[in-house]
Amino acid sequence: MANTNKQLQIIYSDGTLGLGGDGFHYIFSYSRGGLESLEINGKQWLYREPKPTFWRATTDNDRGNGFSKKSVQWMGADMFVDATSIDVKVNDQLIGFPGAPTNNKYSNNEYADKVEIIYHYETLTTPSTPVDVSYTITPNGNIDVHAHYTGNAKLPDLPVFGIRFVMPTLASGFEYDGLSGETYPDRMAGGQPGTYHIDGLPVTKYLVPQDCGVHMATNALTVTRKTTKDNSDQSKTPFSLSFEKLDQPFAFSCLPYTAEELENATHIEELPIPRRTVVSILGAVRGVGGIDSWGRDVEAQYHIPAGDDIDFGFTLDVSNR
Amino acid sequence: MKPDIKWLDDPEKFRIGELPAHSDHKFYQSKAEITNDQSSFVQSLNGDWEFAFSKNPMSRPADFYKADYDSSHFDTIKVPGHIEFAGYDKFHYINTFYPWEGRIYRRPAYSMGPDQTGAGMFSEGEDNRVGSYIKEFTVNPSLAGKQIRVRFEGVEEAMYVWLNGHFLGYAEDSFTPSEFDLTPYLKDSSNKLAVEVFKRSTAAFIEDQDMFRFFGIFRNVSLVAQPETHIEDLSIKPTVDDDFNNGQFSLDAKLTVNDPDATAHITITDADGQQLYHTTQSVAEKLSISDVSIKKVHLWDHDNPYLYQLTIEIAKQDGTLLEVVPYQFGFRRIEISKDKVILLNGKRLIINGVNRHEWDCHSGRAITLADMKADMQTFLANNINAVRTCHYPDQDPWYGMCDTNGIYMMAENNLESHGSWQKLGDVEPSYNVPGSLPQWRAVVLDRAKNNYEMFKNHTSILFWSLGNESYAGDDIEAMNAYYKEVDPTRLVHYEGVVHDRNYEDTISDVESRMYASPDEIKDYLDHNPKKPFLLCEYMHDMGNSLGGMKSYIDLIDQYPMYAGGFIWDFIDQAIEVKDEVTGQKVLRYGGDFDDRVSDYEFSGDGLMFADRTEKPAMQEAKYYYGQHK
Repeated sequence: MANTNKQLQIIYSDGTLGLGGDGFHYIFSYSRGGLESLEINGKQWLYREPKPTFWRATTDNDRGNGFSKKSVQWMGADMFVDATSIDVKVNDQLIGFPGAPTNNKYSNNEYADKVEIIYHYETLTTPSTPVDVSYTITPNGNIDVHAHYTGNAKLPDLPVFGIRFVMPTLASGFEYDGLSGETYPDRMAGGQPGTYHIDGLPVTKYLVPQDCGVHMATNALTVTRKTTKDNSDQSKTPFSLSFEKLDQPFAFSCLPYTAEELENATHIEELPIPRRTVVSILGAVRGVGGIDSWGRDVEAQYHIPAGDDIDFGFTLDVSNR
Repeated sequence: MKPDIKWLDDPEKFRIGELPAHSDHKFYQSKAEITNDQSSFVQSLNGDWEFAFSKNPMSRPADFYKADYDSSHFDTIKVPGHIEFAGYDKFHYINTFYPWEGRIYRRPAYSMGPDQTGAGMFSEGEDNRVGSYIKEFTVNPSLAGKQIRVRFEGVEEAMYVWLNGHFLGYAEDSFTPSEFDLTPYLKDSSNKLAVEVFKRSTAAFIEDQDMFRFFGIFRNVSLVAQPETHIEDLSIKPTVDDDFNNGQFSLDAKLTVNDPDATAHITITDADGQQLYHTTQSVAEKLSISDVSIKKVHLWDHDNPYLYQLTIEIAKQDGTLLEVVPYQFGFRRIEISKDKVILLNGKRLIINGVNRHEWDCHSGRAITLADMKADMQTFLANNINAVRTCHYPDQDPWYGMCDTNGIYMMAENNLESHGSWQKLGDVEPSYNVPGSLPQWRAVVLDRAKNNYEMFKNHTSILFWSLGNESYAGDDIEAMNAYYKEVDPTRLVHYEGVVHDRNYEDTISDVESRMYASPDEIKDYLDHNPKKPFLLCEYMHDMGNSLGGMKSYIDLIDQYPMYAGGFIWDFIDQAIEVKDEVTGQKVLRYGGDFDDRVSDYEFSGDGLMFADRTEKPAMQEAKYYYGQHK
């Protein structure tokens, strides 16, 4: 049935919640801890579900001052984070969890003006702390994403906090409105504001692969791909997905590797053959430091204290589809 | 004179048969030669040499220098270059430990007592690799008939030299030139130059820089002919009056005079070619000009590196030119004010500097002129106004580039004995050299002299640096005294004295630290500081680093006595090789060559990657170095 009133269609499935509209279709998984499918104009944007991210590949300074050892819990939390419960709101009203058999009351003609799915995570740290990620979808297909980290002072400083998207194929490039070059909270004064186009997914060629490619103070990021893993899709026409700031600019990195993949290599040539795109949208970034590489800490104002709450958000803007 | 391999063990044997160190002025047959920088008095011996590698002194071909030695089994090696890059010996990177860590127990001669001479330590060292080099040459017609010397611009780490079977001498100090007179043994036909290079000698204890450890003839080798009457040494002494309006020019030259009727025509022109001064003098072994006044002098600094042109022409009575010596120099004054602020031309000096090892990922420390030019362009593009020649004298052209481009130089001696006093991070100087050991004094003083004599005319040098991370003692104090005696116009720098404050008043004009935190710097400057403060190393740019630079730059506004510093460092030390798995070109660091003990990726701390592309941090350095240009 045609969606003539420009509302968002909701598919109350047994294991997932589907949301559809003109040129987009999203599927939120109840069992896999996140958004399983993000299709825009038939192009799939997700390899695995976006999850909160807490780890950065150890930098030389992190190794030198022992930060990786102090914060090692966050590596496990980054690799194995899982959702413990899910809430669904329709038109701002919390509904009972719409899994089977509750969903028998729905039909194939369910519509709304606004749907919000909230994933509640518990970090695999000691102690554990809650992290919530919510997705708010409106009929135009845009998704506002909010992440909330609940502070717990018993935990070590965080290396990073954000949401990591893994896309199925390599991006041909990305464009962002932010600062030139690779910037960090304690190394961004030299970044010139502007719009920058980057070909491919360069990994900064530090002798030992480490966290790299962070761009602070970003207003917008557009990732462009030309290929999919869909065997029926032979098109090479570029297609894009944009991340826009909400209240505050965000930080991001756009690389062919996860933090763990970078962590495991001692040379660039040991990194896997690039085949996916890893976009980390970051609400908090720890500084890199620089006083020395054998013990001095990053300056205190550039830490991410675990005791403070962190809130940030951004919009997945699909309006230019 | 007979060579003795035991000189390798003796810290008091480091310079035998060498000609005295002298200024780096060039000399030409004609003015036209200056334009092309092609002196017909110079014949390059770079290129293919015969070569044999030996694992240790015991297995070396000891007779190879003899005129009738059959060297048909020798290989061929390119000069200049490190022997490791030719594939004979393993690349090895290690930071503070001596390179024999975990393999051989050694203590520097005399460090454990006056009877501990170290006999056999290197002359019979199992790890003491040997390179035996032979170069056959015929003297070019433009040099023939003159006094001729051979000039080695850099040989690491100890060498013996013969010509046609005759022993010429022995040299250490890997990073300054060694010259030997060939004249008595030269033949009109083919000559055989034989050079025996050892990887280890007592010099190893004082060349413990944080770098890949190489050996071999790694800088240019040339024959240099001396004109009949020749300026052997030139000492240009430009000074600036107290009002900074006028300059005074003085000059001392040492000549070898075989044509006493010749005359010296001395000219100074400004940058537009306007002649400011001219005199003609009869030649003599000592030639001096005193206090020529240059009115309304253009001062030299980073913003306006104004250079004047000195030209000395030595001509025979009939006007035939014997040689032309050009030298560019500037007027500037470096001093410490009574408020303990470092002043250049009366204005506060702010150092936006970098430490620069000579490095090329294809050839190690055997860098090219193109490398130097590229580095200078990078300096200028990123607001870098100063360089510390860590931790040895660089190739000569770099100093001239710094003059021309207004780069302030901290000209450092070839001295680092890190492994002798710091162990696993702790200060533990039980066998420190040179320390106060009398047997180690002459060698370090010779290094100070080599550095001073060669580079004394370079306007860009504001600081002499006694060396790096060698602790403190009477011997380094004597180096300080040497510079104060020969050169009252520049400042002396040494960081290591912070580890032994007993020498605080007699070593270093400045309080120099490395890697002090901003708070530690404030603490010094807030408590009756004795000296102005600078950081000879800071912002350790290893991997993804250079965060927090603002806190250092803010100190410039807060403390006039804070003079800035030199980022560690300019370029990663890594070596390009073909990946054994994929065949692609990759950069490798310490430990990647089965070299143990190593400090691994600690070799890569640059603002530049080893392939001379900029690290992302460069834009940050450029920004902050642009704040106080």
